[in-house]
Amino acid sequence: MFVKVDLKSHEKIYTLFISILGISLIVIKDHFHTQSLEDWVLIYMLAGSITLLNFFLINLPPKDNSFSMDSSVYLATLFLYGTDLALKVLLLCSIVELFYRRKMSLWRHLFNFSMYCLMILGAYYSFLLFNGKIGAINTYNLWPYMISLVVYFSINVTLMFLFFFFSGQIFKGTFDMGVLLESTVSYFVTLLLSLVLTILLNEQRFFGLFLFTVLVTLLSFVFRKFLQLYQSVAERANRDDLTGLYNHGFFKETLKEHFADVKKLPQSFCLALLDLDDFKKYNDCNGHLRGDELLKFFGDLLQAETKEKNYIVARYGGEEFAILMPNTTKEAAFLFLDRLRKKVNDTYFIGVEYVPYRCLSFSCGIAEYEKGMYDSGELIHKADQAMYYAKAQGKNNVQIYDEENICWSQIEFKEDLEDMEQLLRIFLSKDVYTYRHSKRVFTYALEFSERLDLTDHEKQTLILGALIHDIGKIEVPRDILNKKGKLEPHEWEIIQKHVIWGKEILASNRRFEDVLPLVELHHERYDGKGYPYGLKGEEIPKLARILCIIDSFDAMTTERPYQPTKTFEEAVAELRACAGTQFDPYYAQQFIQFIETQYMPRLERTNR
Amino acid sequence: MVYDGILLSLLIGLLRGGNFKGIAHINLRGGWLFPILLGIEICIFMLQNKIDIIGQASNVLFLLIYVVGLIFLWMNRHQPGFLVIFAGVFLNFIVMAVNGGRMPVSIEAAQTLGREYVEILKAGIYGKHEAIHASTVLPFLGDIIPLSPPYPRRQVISIGDVVMNVGAFLFVQHLMVNGQNNPSSHQTAHEGR
Repeated sequence: MFVKVDLKSHEKIYTLFISILGISLIVIKDHFHTQSLEDWVLIYMLAGSITLLNFFLINLPPKDNSFSMDSSVYLATLFLYGTDLALKVLLLCSIVELFYRRKMSLWRHLFNFSMYCLMILGAYYSFLLFNGKIGAINTYNLWPYMISLVVYFSINVTLMFLFFFFSGQIFKGTFDMGVLLESTVSYFVTLLLSLVLTILLNEQRFFGLFLFTVLVTLLSFVFRKFLQLYQSVAERANRDDLTGLYNHGFFKETLKEHFADVKKLPQSFCLALLDLDDFKKYNDCNGHLRGDELLKFFGDLLQAETKEKNYIVARYGGEEFAILMPNTTKEAAFLFLDRLRKKVNDTYFIGVEYVPYRCLSFSCGIAEYEKGMYDSGELIHKADQAMYYAKAQGKNNVQIYDEENICWSQIEFKEDLEDMEQLLRIFLSKDVYTYRHSKRVFTYALEFSERLDLTDHEKQTLILGALIHDIGKIEVPRDILNKKGKLEPHEWEIIQKHVIWGKEILASNRRFEDVLPLVELHHERYDGKGYPYGLKGEEIPKLARILCIIDSFDAMTTERPYQPTKTFEEAVAELRACAGTQFDPYYAQQFIQFIETQYMPRLERTNR
Repeated sequence: MVYDGILLSLLIGLLRGGNFKGIAHINLRGGWLFPILLGIEICIFMLQNKIDIIGQASNVLFLLIYVVGLIFLWMNRHQPGFLVIFAGVFLNFIVMAVNGGRMPVSIEAAQTLGREYVEILKAGIYGKHEAIHASTVLPFLGDIIPLSPPYPRRQVISIGDVVMNVGAFLFVQHLMVNGQNNPSSHQTAHEGR
């Protein structure tokens, strides 16, 4: 029988060993014929009750956790009548189980049976060892009960762990602390219930057992109802009503989770944003009810097309849809979506004659996850930009996000710059140091960016970021900003918060979205000891790393109330010393070169 | 005893929002066997103490009835619950077969039924039953489970009877609740809240 099941050899040996151990123990321990008929009635009842309890598990939301009360019956039997009875009950239950779960392989049944055997015997002997007395509960000494429970479950956990270990199903996170903690609670419940049942059995025997079983069964019903309710509500909360796709909130959450996962194990994934073309016009011509139908139709189409892949499709906004594509490169995503676009073009829907293209169409932007992206918002933003670019290209096309294409025009850049200057001007009255510092960092960034291998868009972002990076200091009290001498810890905390505040101030304006990472992360250090998040190395966006160097350099070389000024030479030496720890070594080197060629000669001239 | 399980099952079936429509559509193979078997059994009960030949052969006759019943159950094993009923009847059959066609009854358990019954049992055969004694084989499969208050009836049953009832219960539940998957059953479930 064993050979039929395809098992790894370790697993086979282990299962065989445990099974033989369990069966030989029951053969040694069990005196089959000496049981009185009255005991047999009890055994039947207990076995029936366990079978019922195994059938009516208690389900616990949110995950598919459930626990069975069978252990409390076994323990109660053990405490009250000893192993003989408990093992017979186990034997009967196992036989019922064998017939009930015919699909489970025989060796699994044997293993389960033997495991329970060992658990029961282990619990029994540890109970005796700590002076437990079989029979009515001795309330003056509860230790033996606790200890036998601990032994009972330790054997269970150990044997199961070994089983998974030998069958090679162990992977990281299977036995995390949360699960253990949760199960500790349910173990404790089991002990309490076994004590309750022991008292009931001792007092009223059959009627006590009957009460216990009925109570647990009813509880199981109630919990099952709750679980169903929870699941249906959870499902409804994650779905969009009209299209049946996932909704905005769920999608964002999933994306965030995906983002966290992808940072741990490197794999590519893409985000695509789709926007139906001229949907407003369609609505105007055909009415909103038709419009709703179109959305539903399009949603169904998306779902049907992505069915075979593990894509996650959501209705992102009014007529905007989002697809999360795990394990997909942007090229593959492009192929898929362009094919989909053509298919949609060829699909007729009532009323499309009135829209300019005379067919269903959408514009789509794709962005791929790259190392150094710092949150899911950045990915969404990029996909969004690519989508707008697709719209600008005349609609009905798919675009991959590309810095070259998507770039502020010079005019827009100037406008942004002016807006930021306005913002910055507040510092003129409050903290003129910061105002001047920002201006200088801006100048350095302007000049330095020309020497770097960056796209136009990146250059513009760096320059804007340099100008505005300390905007969060508006919220820091003046006396902290201008304090001479060392800062108190709480004051230091406030100073550190300026990066977050700065991000919050700018986040209100959508146009500044690209600058946010620079403002928030320009105090992160290359070795991971910076703030606010302690990001490390390449996790910090490139531009934030560059800005960090410029910012620090200027901070070192200008007079501040709280520190002595360094000369350029000293500051350069400091940069060099900290390259690789505080600063990105590559860009630090570049910046040093820039300073040495552009500024040092100038200074020397003035000094002369 | 079988009727208790069916009655309970009907009640619970109603509570779960089931109805009797499914029962009307029972489709069993060889269903006509059932009443005939019951009729023959009652005849034997009535005649075994009057006509000697039937009394002597009654044990063999009982076993034969069981065999036919088992075949009938096996033929319908695809019906939910019937394998369980089969298991229960089989358990009873085994213990009767190894004890000469008589169902062994525990004297201790029989005391719940009253003294007269115990007397009759000790004296000899009552129906198809006899008292458990030292040479009884597999006594734990016999009628050893006493039913007494709070259970509404006094009776002594075997584990086979219990299993049989569970099977009947499952079958009736299936007929009443899953018998037909029309929306009306959902309706009732909602109204129940």
